[in-house]
Amino acid sequence: MERLAPQPAPLTWRVATLARLQPETSSATTLILDVPEWPGHLAGQHVDVRLTAEDGYQAERSYSIASAPQDAHLALTVERIDDGEVSPYLTDELHPGDQLELRGPIGGYFTWNAADGGPLLLLGGGSGLVPLMAMLRHRAAAKSDAAATVLVSARSWEDVLYRDELATHDDHGVTVRYTLTREQPPGWAGWAGRVNLEMLRELGADPGAPLRVFVCGPTGFVEHVADVLVQLGHDPHRIKTERFGPTGG
Amino acid sequence: MSPLISRGFGGRRRRDVDPARIPPGQYVVDDFPVLSAGPTPTVSLDQWTFSITGAVDEPASWSWEEFLALPSEEIRTDIHCVTKWSKLDTAWKGVSVDVLLEHVDTAAEFVSAFCDGGYTTNLPFADVTDGQAWVAYEFDGEPLEPVHGGPARLLVPHLYFWKSAKWVRGLELLDHDEPGFWETNGYHNRGDPWKEQRYWSD
Amino acid sequence: MEATEQHTDGNAIAGILQEIFVAEFTTLERTCQSCGDRNPAGAHRSYRGAGIVLRCPHCGDVALRLAVLPDEYVFELRGAWSRRSNT
Repeated sequence: MERLAPQPAPLTWRVATLARLQPETSSATTLILDVPEWPGHLAGQHVDVRLTAEDGYQAERSYSIASAPQDAHLALTVERIDDGEVSPYLTDELHPGDQLELRGPIGGYFTWNAADGGPLLLLGGGSGLVPLMAMLRHRAAAKSDAAATVLVSARSWEDVLYRDELATHDDHGVTVRYTLTREQPPGWAGWAGRVNLEMLRELGADPGAPLRVFVCGPTGFVEHVADVLVQLGHDPHRIKTERFGPTGG
Repeated sequence: MSPLISRGFGGRRRRDVDPARIPPGQYVVDDFPVLSAGPTPTVSLDQWTFSITGAVDEPASWSWEEFLALPSEEIRTDIHCVTKWSKLDTAWKGVSVDVLLEHVDTAAEFVSAFCDGGYTTNLPFADVTDGQAWVAYEFDGEPLEPVHGGPARLLVPHLYFWKSAKWVRGLELLDHDEPGFWETNGYHNRGDPWKEQRYWSD
Repeated sequence: MEATEQHTDGNAIAGILQEIFVAEFTTLERTCQSCGDRNPAGAHRSYRGAGIVLRCPHCGDVALRLAVLPDEYVFELRGAWSRRSNT
């Protein structure tokens, strides 16, 4: 998979096959997909997934690509929303060998290519970490030396996606910090509560530095974090945002 | 290429409903989806007014307190959104537009609803009179939530719900039709769900 | 600051926009007709009503209205839009 450029239009619906499921947390699962003639993608892009019932009823949702462009399969991490219409189907009903309709890759704005350079400041809330993880995976695969600082916001330690893998990025020019908003494990020495000015200052989110800032997650998280960054002195035009809507899934 | 059927996918629709209650192309939901053309406006009730303006001898206007003092009704009705969901037996409380027009002398044939946030929608005068339309401020026994149009929204349940303008602040009475926000961008001028009048090509 | 966070942004409607314009849309930049601020489409706020609305992230004015009909797309673009010409 050598192409690292966004697919120019037109977008067509493709049939992907589920190769395997990979549980991430008690509510999130990664779908590892085979997509024939996948044109390649940039870290940060997403796909639209479409489900069609036998009577023709359709539902469509967007999911960020979790895999690096260099990976052999396309990976989507889906957070299961309990009363959701699409996510429980994807996490609970699909079996390896099943097919899924998707189109993409989509989105040229919220992307990062190793050639763009860093330093990176990535702020992810809940499943907003997915496209940021694609960026980190791409960074590692491309052997980029761009410094990266990551702030992960999650409800609890059990809800943090890619926990073990994040620990491996920490130490390779990547600093990962966490804030847990609802509950913290015993002896927790990390941050708690919503992202605030002090956290960003401690992360060295200096508005003077030529940072590439990416914020992703539920709309409320993104609006709040962008506000705090602006309070800290960042130019709003230099902050790239991707909002997942009220539930974030 | 016809879409791939997703084995075992049914969607979150209700199937146990009398089909005679569902307009063509609609499906029934139990939740209340939130759809908006823009952000939820914030308005303080001591600055809120509802007005009847336009082709009238004397414009009428009510403050929030005056509005709540008007005779109101409990309305139980089905609502139908052009995005294909329908919700049955919804319960509202509001003031009938007939009450608002009681002392208004007009020969207007059309109305344009105007709202906080700038949204507009147009209706024939005959579609908002004779017990067909209300300005509603309660839903399900509670004050109407801002995301659903509170403090008050227009309620015209016999037409697609984009006509039930959220955050309504008044009705402009007109002698000519003035297509509104969606009517000028692809949607049907009248929007009768039973005739499936969704788009301007229908 | 809004009372609700029901909106998403231009990234969320990138698929339908690419379907219509047959080109990547989120990187197009728009100079607002009301406030003059310049932002990529991906940074604009998007709303779903009967159709789709994209709004300026700075002043909230309408940037795009879009309706998807069975046989046509109906859209209105406001403001001055720009894309790189790659020459």
